[in-house]
Amino acid sequence: MVYLVAAAQEDDLATMRAEKPELWRHVRRYNKPVQLALAAADEVMKFSQDPSTAAVISLAPCQPGSADLYSWGHVVTSGMANGTLGNLRMNPTQTLHAVDNLAMSAFAIAHGNHAYCLGLGGAAGQAWCGLEAVLERLNAGFEEEALLMAGDQDAAEDGASGSGVALLFSTRVNRVRLVSVSRSPAIVDVVPHATNGLAALLSAIAEHRSGLMSYVVPPQHTDGFSTVTVTLEIS
Amino acid sequence: MSKRRVVITGMGALSALGATTRDLWNGLLENRSGVRRVRRLVESGITVTSGGEVDAVSPDNVDRDHEIANRAIDDALAESKRVAAECGFIWSTGLDTFQLGATGFLHRSAGRCFSNLASRFTGPRRMIAAACASGTQAVGEAFRLIQNGHVDACVAGGSSVMLTPFYLIGFAGLQVVAIDNGDDPSLACRPFDKKRKGFALADGAGAVVLETLESARERGATVLAEVIGFGVSQDAFDLNRPCDDGAGAELCMRRALADAELDGEQIDAVNAHATATYSGDLAEAAALRKLFANRWRDVPVSGSKGAIGHAMAAAGVLEAIVAAQTCATGIVTPTVNLRQVDDGCELDHVIGEPRDVNAATVLSVSFGMGGQNAAVILKKYV
Repeated sequence: MVYLVAAAQEDDLATMRAEKPELWRHVRRYNKPVQLALAAADEVMKFSQDPSTAAVISLAPCQPGSADLYSWGHVVTSGMANGTLGNLRMNPTQTLHAVDNLAMSAFAIAHGNHAYCLGLGGAAGQAWCGLEAVLERLNAGFEEEALLMAGDQDAAEDGASGSGVALLFSTRVNRVRLVSVSRSPAIVDVVPHATNGLAALLSAIAEHRSGLMSYVVPPQHTDGFSTVTVTLEIS
Repeated sequence: MSKRRVVITGMGALSALGATTRDLWNGLLENRSGVRRVRRLVESGITVTSGGEVDAVSPDNVDRDHEIANRAIDDALAESKRVAAECGFIWSTGLDTFQLGATGFLHRSAGRCFSNLASRFTGPRRMIAAACASGTQAVGEAFRLIQNGHVDACVAGGSSVMLTPFYLIGFAGLQVVAIDNGDDPSLACRPFDKKRKGFALADGAGAVVLETLESARERGATVLAEVIGFGVSQDAFDLNRPCDDGAGAELCMRRALADAELDGEQIDAVNAHATATYSGDLAEAAALRKLFANRWRDVPVSGSKGAIGHAMAAAGVLEAIVAAQTCATGIVTPTVNLRQVDDGCELDHVIGEPRDVNAATVLSVSFGMGGQNAAVILKKYV
């Protein structure tokens, strides 16, 4: 069986910079969603028995990139229009901001994690695929712990605010058991934002006192093709 | 729970060698590269002008990302005689793309592209994001979902439309793409060669239909190959380069072998990642030598990127398609542009012409930037 051991949400980079200088040194060159996902992961992995062996399931930002990257993109496109690209160089750090697996890689390096990893892309509703993957891995006995993390920003181009969420699951008995993730067909409009979806789930768990809980994912947080129901048991 | 056998019953490929799996296979058999000078890159004035262009869809088509992917998917479904509505969809659309369109700055969202592609499939619909290992991991994840009974059939693979100045300049900054120096552009990517200088970026798409052996038999489908093992790992070493001894790569290959309940003795050939980067090829060669121990001189190794460039999210599945054809024919294709093996890259390279070794069990591997590694093992179905 699969249990939620710890969960964290981070949305304040200034506090992280002030209170966790070592973590900030590690993440400062990344883009905001990755910084926030790693900050949340850092919190929950304090409850891990062995961060180096946990399965890592990482959700790519629904809006990748950064304000720096977008600025540079405009330089490139202007250069293309004007025929002035010449020997334009790109800061390698900004290249990283476009990469979809950056949080997973950075986490692995920080924790010496060589275990199973699954990067899920920024399409709508992938957060629930991540939860399904957690169930598949831990129920099959492949690993004893699994980290699910996500970081998103509200708009990449102008460096708007964002948040990061991390959930640590384990086969060790705990208060919140993840029972199942089920789906039924439905066509709805969506807003890709994995972190908001997971944060809403965590809020619902926090409000539920005990017993079985069926959380019907709000339509805008799904993939647009299915109604998703997450079933948990809280003791 | 007993594991179900998983087979490939359909394949589709768009690459620099053409718009079909046959074009891909024949080009490799002919030791031919499809990498060439790309006019729009020359006109942009950047220092990297060679790439693996897909001719089947116009670069001016604003739906190019969808078109390329859908053609490969449709070809795979047609060969399999399946319809999308009865399949899961495990796919990578790579990274968001930024370029200049007719109306100015054009941002193509990989996530939106995935959602559009996924709309005609039933679940599960998973968008894989593991950089250059994405295509291989998509095949492996679909294999695992079917094997464990979560779904009966999946379309798996990836597509990539990244042959733009934005990414060419970006990857040049990471010192992984071949900068022009007046060479024949078809020689840009030279895996394991003394003169290698990085990869040629490419567009492309590859799709495979995976299903249970039982369903393939019931439908009377032609089985193209069987998938028997899958492994992933993380380097946990560096964001831009692998560890010198290829430990992370070796780990994922060993996991795939263990998953298939095989040992290195039972692998007949390898379709290598073979990006032609300096450190990547050295690490991969070191990993393969350790994996095969005293047999490493006898396991034919071939890479496809010299011929088609590096199609990123599509690379792994295009290479798995080549591996499936090796399983079916026993023939290992040559590593295009490999002429003089570099020190440290020693393996049983297939050079110059294909080699008929009756290969039936093939290891196909991908190692992503950032350190995600994935391997699948394919076997001739008999």
